[in-house]
This record gives sequence, structure tokens and C-alpha cells, in this order.
Amino acid sequence: MPQLEQVEFFISQLFWLGVFFVILFTVLTYITLPKIRAFLNQRDDFVKSHISKQDELIKKAESIIENYEAKVTEAKNQASQIINDAKDKALKESEDLIKASEEKIQHEIKQTEERVAKEKDTAISELNDQLKDSAANFLSKVTNIEKGNINL
Amino acid sequence: MAKGESPLKQFEIQPIVDINFLGFDISFTNSALWMTITTAFILIFFTVPFLKAKKTNSVSDLYPTRMQVAAELGFNFINSLLADTVGKEGKKYFPLVFTLFMFILFGNLFGMIPYSFTFTSHIIVTLALAMGVFIFVTVLGFVKHGVKFFSFFVIPGLPVYMLPLLIPIEIISYLSRPISLSVRLFANMLAGHTLLKVFAGFVSALGFFGILPLVFIIALTGLEILIAFLQAYVFAILTCLYINDALHLH
Repeated sequence: MPQLEQVEFFISQLFWLGVFFVILFTVLTYITLPKIRAFLNQRDDFVKSHISKQDELIKKAESIIENYEAKVTEAKNQASQIINDAKDKALKESEDLIKASEEKIQHEIKQTEERVAKEKDTAISELNDQLKDSAANFLSKVTNIEKGNINL
Repeated sequence: MAKGESPLKQFEIQPIVDINFLGFDISFTNSALWMTITTAFILIFFTVPFLKAKKTNSVSDLYPTRMQVAAELGFNFINSLLADTVGKEGKKYFPLVFTLFMFILFGNLFGMIPYSFTFTSHIIVTLALAMGVFIFVTVLGFVKHGVKFFSFFVIPGLPVYMLPLLIPIEIISYLSRPISLSVRLFANMLAGHTLLKVFAGFVSALGFFGILPLVFIIALTGLEILIAFLQAYVFAILTCLYINDALHLH
């Protein structure tokens, strides 16, 4: 077995093993591994910062939603208030209008009735006068008495 | 495989450049060559995708490229392995476990390339790695706990008369850690590669019926790639467990 027979190369193998192991260990320790670690850390930091940013944004979004919902309920309340007010107002106005127009109609009816009564009176008196006149005419013709002298 | 060539020939070390330093033979061999390739590949694979990383905060710059995803996968794998076994204190030992895992993993995987060399199939290499881990965790235990570290060998809640029996067992099991750690990796690599070579020999020997061992080799290659991952993982997780033991004792 060459592993145990070639004793003359033991020193050489140990020497070169030592040389290359030390080179490898030194370069890896002081150059390569810190570089890899830095690279990985950079990425971890990036991911972590984005996760925390995301949490922040989620909180922000939640508060915005809350705000929005509060505003929506407020607006709904206001809207129903406005609608109720408008209903009440409209009802009152129409009632007022009806009342006013009823009053006006009553007034007009009264006025018309008064006018009619007045006209009836005048018409009756006029008719009376005419009758008196025509009766006087008739009497003056019949009696030959001057019309002015006849007193009915 | 040439006729009469041993299936163990693939583990032979061949010097490429002869180097002699203060009387020590530290020749640059095929083993060292594949260690170079492994090291270079790991460094390129994990460093280059992150060289152009810009410091911006736009989303598009944070999308990883394909290569970055691949590198991240390895990074996160070891990261979670350490977090699961050791916990938060394990972060300090991340570079060590990462280096061990990647070095063994790509050493094993490059060993699967035909005509390459698997340096993890050499007991001296795996033993050196395992001894390194063993010495590290032992020193770590003494640094963290001082003399109290010896209480690691005393299992809590046991009757006193059992201690003389169990303390030596605990000590032996502790001392055998580097051996089991190194032999596990070495034996797996050795056995897998040898088996592949043996069956490869059957392919040419059986002529037309060589198709059968060929199919077997294809399946076995898949298994070997799995084992390459598995052994690197086992080495890494055991290192994590030993670190955990050193930090928390029981």
C-alpha cells in the first residue's frame, strides 16, 4: 500500500498540506467569508427593512380605513338628518300652503257672496224704480195728470 | 489499466518537482498538485462571485447570481451545521469548520476525476487533519475550562465505584478520536477507489461481458460521489461535536 510504504513523502505531504490548509484558512477567514456574510447580511437587512415598512404601511392603511368608515357613518347620519329635515319642512310648507289657499278661497267665496247680495239689492231697487216709473207713466196717460205730480 | 498493474497504483505519489529544504524532502508531488487545485478552486468558487458586490439598496442588486447562490449554499450549510451542533458560540469556529469541510469535500470530489489523485486517500494527510482538530479542541477545552476540563472524563450521575472503570474508558475513547476520524476518511477513499479500479480491470478482462462491470462502475461512481460528500460531512460534523464538547463539557 503506497500510503504506508512511501514514507519518504510523508514530510512533503505534511508540508504541502500545511501550506495549502493555512493559505485556504487565511484567505477564507479574512477575505471570502466576510464578503459572503456581508452580502447575506445586506440582503437580510433589506428584507427586514421592507417587512417593517410593510407593517407600518398596513397600520397606516388600517387607520385610513377606520377613518374612512367613521366618515362614512357620519355622512350617512348627516344625510338622513337632512332628509328628515327636508321632509318636515316640505310637509309644513305644503300644510301652510293648503291652509293659506283654503283661507283665500273662503275669503273669495265670502266676497263673491257679498257682491252677489249687493248686486241683487241694486237690481231689485232698480227694478222697483223702473216699475214705479212705468206705473207713473201709465197713470199720467190714463189720468192726464202731469207725471211729476203723481206720487206713488 | 495496464496489465499487471496493481489497483493500488493509483495511490502512488510521484514527485513533480524535487525540492530539498534543510535536508527535508519537500518535493512538489501529484498530491501537492491536487491540493493546489483544490485550494485554488475553493478560493475562486467562493470569492469571485462576491467580488463585484455593490453597496446599493435596489432590489435588482440583491438578486444573487447563479454562482452566488451556489456559494451561499455551501456557506449556509456549514452555518446551520454549526448552529445546530454548537449553537451561537459556534460562530467563532465557522472558518475552521468551513475550511475543513470544503478542503476535504473538493479533495474527495476531484479525486473522482479519472487520472487525478485523491490526497484524502492518504492516511498521513487525514491523520494530520484529524490531529489538528484533536489538538485544537483539546487546547480549546483547557483554555475555556482550565483544569476543570478533566471533569469531561467523569460522567455525571454515576455511582462512585463505577468511576475507576469508566474514567479510563472515557480517556481511551477521547484519545482514539483522531484515529477514528482519520481512518474513517482514509479507508472510505481507499476502499472506493480500489473497488473502482478492480472492477475497471474486469471490464477489459471479460471482453463483451465487460459491459456488466461497466454498468456497475457507473453506479459505483455515483455512490462514490455520495461518499465524497458524506465523508466530508461526517468529518465536519464530528469536528463540530468535538468543539461543542470542549465548550460545554457534557
